Amino acid sequence: MSLTLIGIIGIVLLLAILFVFGIPVGFAMGLVGFIGFAHVISVDASFNMLATVTWDTFSKYGLTVIPLFIFMGQIAFYSGVNEKLYTAAFTWVGHIRGGIAMATVLACAAFAAICGSNAATAATMTTVALPQMTKYKYEPMLSTGAIACGSTLGVVIPPSVVLIIIGLSTEQSIAELFYGGLGAGILLASLLTLTVYVLCSIYPSWGPTGEKTSLKAKILSLAGAVEMLILFMVVMLGLYFGLFTPTEAGAVGSFFAVVIALAQKKLSWNDFYNSIFDTLKISCMVIVIITGAMIFGRFLAITRIPFDIADWVVTLPFSKVTIMGIIFMIYIIGGAVMDALALLLITIPIFFPVAMELGYDPIWFGVTITIVTTLGAVTPPVGATTYVVGGMAKDVPLEKVFKGVAYFLPAYIICILIMMLFPKVVLFLPGLLK
Amino acid sequence: MDFLTRLNKILNKVLTLTGGVFLIGMILLTCANIFIRQFYIPIRGTFELMGYAGAVVTAFALGYTQFTNGHISVDILVNTYPAPVKRFVSLINHGVCSLFFFIAAWQVVKKAMILKAAGELSETLRIIYYPFTLAVAFGCFVLALAIFTDFLKVVFPQKASAK
Repeated sequence: MSLTLIGIIGIVLLLAILFVFGIPVGFAMGLVGFIGFAHVISVDASFNMLATVTWDTFSKYGLTVIPLFIFMGQIAFYSGVNEKLYTAAFTWVGHIRGGIAMATVLACAAFAAICGSNAATAATMTTVALPQMTKYKYEPMLSTGAIACGSTLGVVIPPSVVLIIIGLSTEQSIAELFYGGLGAGILLASLLTLTVYVLCSIYPSWGPTGEKTSLKAKILSLAGAVEMLILFMVVMLGLYFGLFTPTEAGAVGSFFAVVIALAQKKLSWNDFYNSIFDTLKISCMVIVIITGAMIFGRFLAITRIPFDIADWVVTLPFSKVTIMGIIFMIYIIGGAVMDALALLLITIPIFFPVAMELGYDPIWFGVTITIVTTLGAVTPPVGATTYVVGGMAKDVPLEKVFKGVAYFLPAYIICILIMMLFPKVVLFLPGLLK
Repeated sequence: MDFLTRLNKILNKVLTLTGGVFLIGMILLTCANIFIRQFYIPIRGTFELMGYAGAVVTAFALGYTQFTNGHISVDILVNTYPAPVKRFVSLINHGVCSLFFFIAAWQVVKKAMILKAAGELSETLRIIYYPFTLAVAFGCFVLALAIFTDFLKVVFPQKASAK
């Protein structure tokens, strides 16, 4: 049996045990990689590889950035920064038609700058923004759609765990990916806000105007929200000027997030305790998937299948844009049935060499597939973020939430098209780092 | 069964709290390093200490993450199975995963023993680091135990629910 065939069987086996047996993604990748390695080399070599990869991954300095940024986000979450950000955005734009839905998207974007979790953003924004939109008689499809889609900005706008993992698995600069994600995230947030505006222009009853506020009230509303945004600036500028590494940026961000939350008297002992437990749980989940992907990657590497696929794809009689379009379709379908992080870790070893062979910029590819995969967080059948919003918005049927999300999907498509036509949107800010 | 569940609960709480202490230590060490190097020299060995502490942070949360269903799986198909099939699939799932992590724990222990026998020291601080390797092995073992408990819960469903 040829190595390529063994590699293909390994990929099919992985998908089979993922879907048929529901084995957790990290475990499944580790298991298939371990068995495949034992089959190709030897059982003893596979035992050795299992121990080495497990120890090396768990103790890797580069991966310590993950718990640190997650902790920063958890502290922001438990200290109620979402609420402050939403109030500020509401005070500034709530008086225009559809303004509260726009404020929700903007607050999601601002919170994404501190916390990288879609689900956490969706949960709090549903609690904070939905009652306001219901009070002003907003169309439920618009309000829930805006919350679900706005929450997806969490993985695009830095610091994002997904971008960190893409950086580590493709050996690209995390700082460059962060700055690429910032450009793309601002573009997506603008398009989502524009969608609210267009929808409210077509259906004025969907987003009635809120109360007008004075300039003084607008400025006062920034108190409490602006501190965390300054923290974001410190982290990003520190990376930009090379003052600290991504891991150090995570530690500084975490430290000052705690200091700010304590100074604002917004962090109880219980909140701190919960932040720690949640941080460890999420970090562990991420590291287990990475470890599994590393083991699976070792197996794929000895079969040479990623390189064979890359060589084969470039010989296809299609333009590179068509091939990239096909890859994006695979990510959209994959993102609809499984978690973005897991999907990226399984597919990056296969598609990253293809993108490089086709001559695409690695930073552009990393940021663009993040946006493409994040679509899966709001589309059925998985659409985890939509389920969070649907589950919490008791008076809105789930179909309506999904319908609401559908109105925002063109924004993602336009965003991806703009990124394909004008790669500078993504690459301009990272270019300044070089 | 009851004993195993309680053991898991206590073990995971203690380990996760220990991991939390290491996480705070990592933050403080890094911030201190950034601060001190501005006017003196960087704290020696920060890089490797962060790696070792990071290993403890995540390895000690392995069991807790399993205990609280924190590991991501694709259950879109599994949710459509009738109850007996679901139970069978769950048995295979937990049985295979628990065996895999017992093997992983055992192999990492072997690696730690090799490091100990060779007198392996870290590059900068020149300290023994096999205890951290053992910590990762222990984390894998606790994960295997948590999955094995889930396996037993599927084998003896009535006992678990009666409790």
